[in-house]
Order: sequence, then C-alpha cells, then structure tokens
Amino acid sequence: MSYVTVTDLHKTYAGFPILERVNLSVEKGTFVSIVGASGCGKSTFLRLLLAQERPTRGEITIDGQPPALEPNRDRGIVFQRYSVFGHMTVRENLIAAEALGATVWGVLPSRARRKAAEDVADAALERIGLAHMGKAYPASLSGGMQQRLAIAQSLIAKPRILLLDEPFGALDPGTRASMHDFLLEIKAEWDMTVFMVTHDLSEGFKLGDRVLVFDKVRWDPHEPHAYGATVTYDFDARNGGIPFQSLSIETVEEITV
Amino acid sequence: MKKSILSIVTAGSIALCSALGVSSAQAEEKTSFKVAWSIYVGWMPWGYLDSSGIMDKWAEKYGIDVEIVQVNDYIESINLYTAGGFDGVSATNMDTLSIPSAGGVDTTALIVGDYSDGNDAVILKGAGDLSSLKGMPVNLVELSVSHYLLARGLDSVGLSEKDLGGVINTSDADMIAAYATDEVKAVVTWNPLVSEIMQQPGATKVFDSSNVPGEIIDIMMVNTETLADNPAFGKALVGAWYELMGIMSSDTDEGKAVRTAMAEASGTDLAGYDAQLASTEMFYDPAAAVAFTESADLPKTMVHVAQFLFDKGILGEGAPSPDFVGVSYPDGSVTGDPNNVKLRFDSSYMKMAADGSL
Amino acid sequence: MGYALTLLPFVLVLFVYMGASDIRLAENPSDKILPAPSTIVATAERLVGEPDKRSGEILFWNDTGISLVRLALGVGIAALTGLVAGLLIGLFPYMRSTFSGFVAVLSMVPPLAVLPILFIAFGLGEVSKVALIAIGITPFLIRDLSQRTVEIPSEQIVKAQTLGASSLAIALRVVLPQLLPRLIQGVRLALGPAWLFLIAAEAIAAEAGLGYRIFLVRRYLAMDIILTYVAWITFLAFIIDLLLRSAGRRLFPWSEPAGGSGL
Repeated sequence: MSYVTVTDLHKTYAGFPILERVNLSVEKGTFVSIVGASGCGKSTFLRLLLAQERPTRGEITIDGQPPALEPNRDRGIVFQRYSVFGHMTVRENLIAAEALGATVWGVLPSRARRKAAEDVADAALERIGLAHMGKAYPASLSGGMQQRLAIAQSLIAKPRILLLDEPFGALDPGTRASMHDFLLEIKAEWDMTVFMVTHDLSEGFKLGDRVLVFDKVRWDPHEPHAYGATVTYDFDARNGGIPFQSLSIETVEEITV
Repeated sequence: MKKSILSIVTAGSIALCSALGVSSAQAEEKTSFKVAWSIYVGWMPWGYLDSSGIMDKWAEKYGIDVEIVQVNDYIESINLYTAGGFDGVSATNMDTLSIPSAGGVDTTALIVGDYSDGNDAVILKGAGDLSSLKGMPVNLVELSVSHYLLARGLDSVGLSEKDLGGVINTSDADMIAAYATDEVKAVVTWNPLVSEIMQQPGATKVFDSSNVPGEIIDIMMVNTETLADNPAFGKALVGAWYELMGIMSSDTDEGKAVRTAMAEASGTDLAGYDAQLASTEMFYDPAAAVAFTESADLPKTMVHVAQFLFDKGILGEGAPSPDFVGVSYPDGSVTGDPNNVKLRFDSSYMKMAADGSL
Repeated sequence: MGYALTLLPFVLVLFVYMGASDIRLAENPSDKILPAPSTIVATAERLVGEPDKRSGEILFWNDTGISLVRLALGVGIAALTGLVAGLLIGLFPYMRSTFSGFVAVLSMVPPLAVLPILFIAFGLGEVSKVALIAIGITPFLIRDLSQRTVEIPSEQIVKAQTLGASSLAIALRVVLPQLLPRLIQGVRLALGPAWLFLIAAEAIAAEAGLGYRIFLVRRYLAMDIILTYVAWITFLAFIIDLLLRSAGRRLFPWSEPAGGSGL
C-alpha cells in the first residue's frame, strides 16, 4: 500500500525545468535517502515534499490526503542549521512543538494541556540525553545536541513524514556517526516514514531502506539547463546497503566519485 | 611623561583660548578690524556699506582695514562679539547690557542708528486690547526685546507677567507657523514678522514700540578698549555710516536704488522695506543721533531695562541688584554701579560726523 | 591601569578647559564663556537645590522630568510603531512590496524641515514635541527591524509551520521575541537622534525642558548653566544607554553575542 505517492511531478523555475516526470511510491515506515550531485534537484524535491513550494505540474499525496498548499503538521523537518528556536530554552523548544499549533496564538489553551506537553518534553529530554540541559539555550549546545533536539522537536508533533535536509552536514565525523546510531534507534522506535537528503552516499546507504539517485537523463551540452532531473536509480538498501538492482559495490562507489 | 602631558594641556588651553579669540579682545594698536551684523531693518546699511565699497573707502582713508561680516543668527553674533571674535556688533541697548556688558566686556555705543517706533508689537488673535491678555498664553522669544515690550505694555495697564496664562518661548524663525496654530492666542514679535502676521485676518495690534518710543534702540556697539587704542576704527565706521545715511534718506534715484538693494538683501521689495522704515525712527542726521544720545530720557530707559533684566535673572547670579552693571552717558553721568561701568554711550564720534570733521 | 587609561582623555580635556578658563578669567574676571569649574559647581548646586523664586519649583528637576517624559513618550511610540511595522513589513512579502519603498523615502525626509507642518497638524504643545521625536526616529526603527525580520532564517518560519503554527503564532512566538533584543539595540542607536529632536523641539516652542533652558539662557550667555545642563544630559544619555544594555542582557540572555560587548 503506497503511503507517499508522487505522480508525474514537474518543477520549473523561470522557464528552466529542474525536475521532470518524477513518479514514486513509498510504503509507510520506509527510510528514503535522496542523493545526487549538487544542482540535481534533490533539495527542490524535498521542498516540494515539505510543501514549501508547489509543483508546476503533478502532485504529491501523503496517506491519501489532498496535496498541501504550505508546510503543516503532517511534515516534520530538520534542516542542517537553524532548526530549533534560539530564543527558547531546550525544554521550551520541546513544549513549543505542542504549543505553537495548539491555538491561533501559539500557546497552550489549558493548564492540563500545558502539563501534558511538559511531561512529553521531559520524557523526550531524557530520551535524547539532554535532561541536564533543559534550562540551557540552544546556542550553548554542541552541533550534535542541537540536531538531536531538532529531531525530537519534530517527532513530538507526530508528523506523517519526517524530512531531513542534510541534517548532519555541519557535524564532525565522530558526532555524525553517533547521530546515525541515534537516528536508527529513533526510527525503530517510531516507525517513521523518513526522507533524507544527503550528499554523503555512504550515509545514504547506511541509514536508508531505499536510496534514490536524482540526475538528468537528457543532456544538451549547448543548453545545460534545457532538461530537468528525475530519479535515475532506485536502490533497495536494506541488508546493509546491498543494492536492490544488479549493481556491484564498485559501481556504487564509482557514482560516489 | 608627566612633562609631556603638561605641555599637551598647556598647548590645548592656549589653542582653545585663541579659538575663542582672547587675543583680539586684548587692547592693542592694530590695523585690521571685524564687525558683525545681522539682518534687521535698521542694520541693512551695514550690508550695503560692505558690498558698495563705501566702507573700504573710509577704511583706506584712515589707513586701516574693516571687514563687515553678516551673521545669520542675531544672538550668535552678539555671543561671538562677547567671546572676542569681533571688534563690533550691531545690537540693541538691552541685549548689549545683558550679554557683553554683564559678561564683563566693556562696550561703547558708537553709532546710535535708530530706535523701534512700531517695529516691535504685541499682536492678539481676534479683537481685544492689552488687558484681554489676562489669563492668556503669550508666544514670544523669551528674554528678548519682545519680552521687554510685553512687560512695559502690561505695566501700562496694571498687569504683570503673573497675570498671563504663561509665556511660551517660541523661536522667531517659527513664529509665523506658530501663529497659524489654534493654541496660539497672542504673540509678541518684531518686523518683518509683525507685518506678515498683521496680514492674517483677525490679527489685532494691541501695543507696539511706538507706545514706548526710544526704548528699543539699535546701535553699532564696539569694544571700548579697541576704540580707545584705535580712534581711526571709530572714525572710519562713523564716516562710512553717515555718508550712506545721506544717500539713503535722499529722495533721489540713487537713494531709491540704495533702499531697493537693502530691501532685496532683507528678502522684501522697496515698498515693503519703506513700510518697515516707517515704523523705525532712523537717525539719518548725525546731529539727531547726538541729541538723542545726550537726552535725559536715555538714562531713564536704561534704568527700566536694567530693572527688567534683573527681574528676569538675566544679569547673572553675581548680580546683587539692577545696578550691578554701570552705564555711562555723554555728560559723564552714570546709572548703576560707577565702579563697574561696562556700557558707555559716547556721542563724540557722531558729533565729528555732525560737524563734518571726519 | 585599564580605568586609568579610560579616564586619561577625560582628565586631559578637563585640564585643557581649566587652563583656558584661567587664561580668560585673568583677562576679564566677568567672562561668561569659559566659567571656572568652581563657578560651574556652584551654579550646579544652586540649580539642583534652590527652588525658583517665581514658581517655587526647582527648575532643574522640573526641566529634567518634563524632558524625560517627552523623550520616553516619543521613543516609546516610535519603538512600538517600529516593532509592529517592521515585523509586518519584514514578515509578509506583500507588505514589503507595498511599504518598504515608502518607508525608505520617508526616512530621508529631514523632520526639522517639515516642522511648520507638524505645528499645523499637532499644534504647538506637548503633542508636537513628542511627534517630532517619534517621526524623527520611527523610519529608522522600521527599516532596522524589518531588515532584522528578513534576516531571521526562513528555516525557523518553516519549522514553526511544520509544528502547526498560524501566521499570528509565528509572528508572536517566533519573530517577535527574536526582534525584541534587536529593538533594544535599535533604540540605543536611535537615542542620540532622539535627544537631538527633543532639544530642537524644546528650542522652538516650550515653557520648560532641558533644551528650552539651554536655548533660553543662551540669550545671556550663561555658560555655567549651559555646561551644567550639557553635563547632565550627557550623564542621562549614558545612564539610559547603560540601563537598556543591561535590560537587554537580563531579559534576552540568549541574544548575547559570543564576543565582546562593543560600545
């Protein structure tokens, strides 16, 4: 049963096609890694999933809902930077995940709701290992801590899909490895449907159930912008990243280079 | 290190002093002089003396150099003179007493040019007379001749400033705009603002300087020590002034041309300037100026003025009484403190012009 | 040593002044232009301690109170207007395309040049003085705060949207709190011009106030009074800046930059 369905998706900027003829069907609970060279449209695709932008043609539906017109609570997002609110403490950030959407004013309407949100926040703090940092402001957190907080904040809102835009791009390799473990644990706990854009191919295979490669299938050397990109490879990356199709590891590494 | 800081301090002090013109206030014989003037009906001749070359001619005759500088702000021109930046300045009797004389700068009234004979006025919005001012706010340049005129006016109907609804200090530059607002009920100001405001419908003049003639006097003031050490400076200024007065007062084409030039320099036309002259008692004839300066009314006026300044606290904290500053007159008499004479009415130079001995 | 170096320029200026004052007073004991420091101190004591003969009020404190109320009202109105307008213009693109050009042009108009219009519109009383200050610094604050709003990373807005926040909730809970410390910074920068406009307004038409007194006594060159008032205004401006800075630090600890505090 398809949970996220992408049908004949096109996106054009100022007459230049960026994405064309993207068709995709993703099962619930799948972790989808999206890779590709820079400028291949993978970030555009994520913004379309996020509904931050609207497709020129075609549509994206999630769980059979009508296509969204702007970002909403169905979609969680973690960016590379600025994903948490710098003016709130760590704990307040987690409470805000409930509060911002609770009323039109962005505040929790009752004491009971407030208490419930605090309990959720405290549990999440415990879970991500930041219980001792609850009163701190994000600026005093390390990069890894900030991203853990951002992920927890997104998950508290219980989105239908979680979108990650190069979430570990700004971290050092050691922190990145521990974040991978954290993300895998979280994914197992929550059974989330995740889309992650990364430029790190091994990260994509390590974390993803499926790895999508975006690229241009047609290329005119005289008019490099004449054609848009689409999904050119679709790997099944379960079982430790063995390609679903009959491609060898060597081929995969060739793509990386 | 200590020594170098001390030398910086000393050098700085000397620089600050020379910037404030201490040296030019020192008595000495010199050949180059500077006088300041600002735009006012009775002082327009100073601008013309400069541009026409009449001043240069007379300065040359006495072997000196006189620079005539127009200063846009009247009070600033007096302050500059008091600081020592100028050897002379065009000013009223009252402002001279309160600024340079009270500030210890011994000043001589060299040329008594005119007195206001209607140029300063108390104007009411709507009908009424002086006594209608009771309980009414009055807009004026505080502590100026306008304020003095108001005090004299109120005095004449047995009122005082306490009976008003307050006086509101209002810059002369904004007086006309202020008059246009609803909360302004009455103003005291001077020409050309008076004629401008009187053109507004409903404006009533309830008191003006022609009611207290000869009390608001426009004078070329010069530094007493500078004059004493350099009589040529006084002679050149007086000679040039009365040559122009002769031309200006004549009903000839030349006289008209001169007044037209002055009118343009003050931002009006010949008719407008002649109207202002009509409310100004110009002493075109040096003999008339001498007679006015030597009259017995002048000391009475100056006593009034000193009393007003003292009442307003303008004579300074060191002033124990209205008599704090002494004023001397041509006959040798003194009002105020004879040991602290800082304003001197001297008719001798004007007399030379009257006698034709310049 | 640090304090000594900070004080050095002040001490130097004081000594230069004292030297110059001495020279002038030796020349003319009644000189008013550079009164002796002892005269200024005596004048200051009289100003802050002795009630006015006529009104029975101590003019110095009366002037201070009236001027501070005018300043607070003018700056307060400007800050509120700047905050709301800056937020709307910065956050909503159609507001931006409608108003940002207008505000940019408006901020170029020298307020003192249109004073007669202010008089006609607001009268000669308190309103026009407060209006001059507000009109003088509001365009700057709007431009500053709308620019700061635009600078808030779009990631934050999108993130709030994915948490279900309405536009109002984003404005109130995400953008507004991040603008407040910037508002304090903006107000600190605008206070200099605000004082200038206050004193200009009081010079033109007033019955009391710090600027009124300075321009009034200038008519008889009472530099001892002027210098006392100037020192007092400088001190007030310094204290207000200090209070704003420490309020910003206390209220918005998250906004403290990592480096030094600068001036």
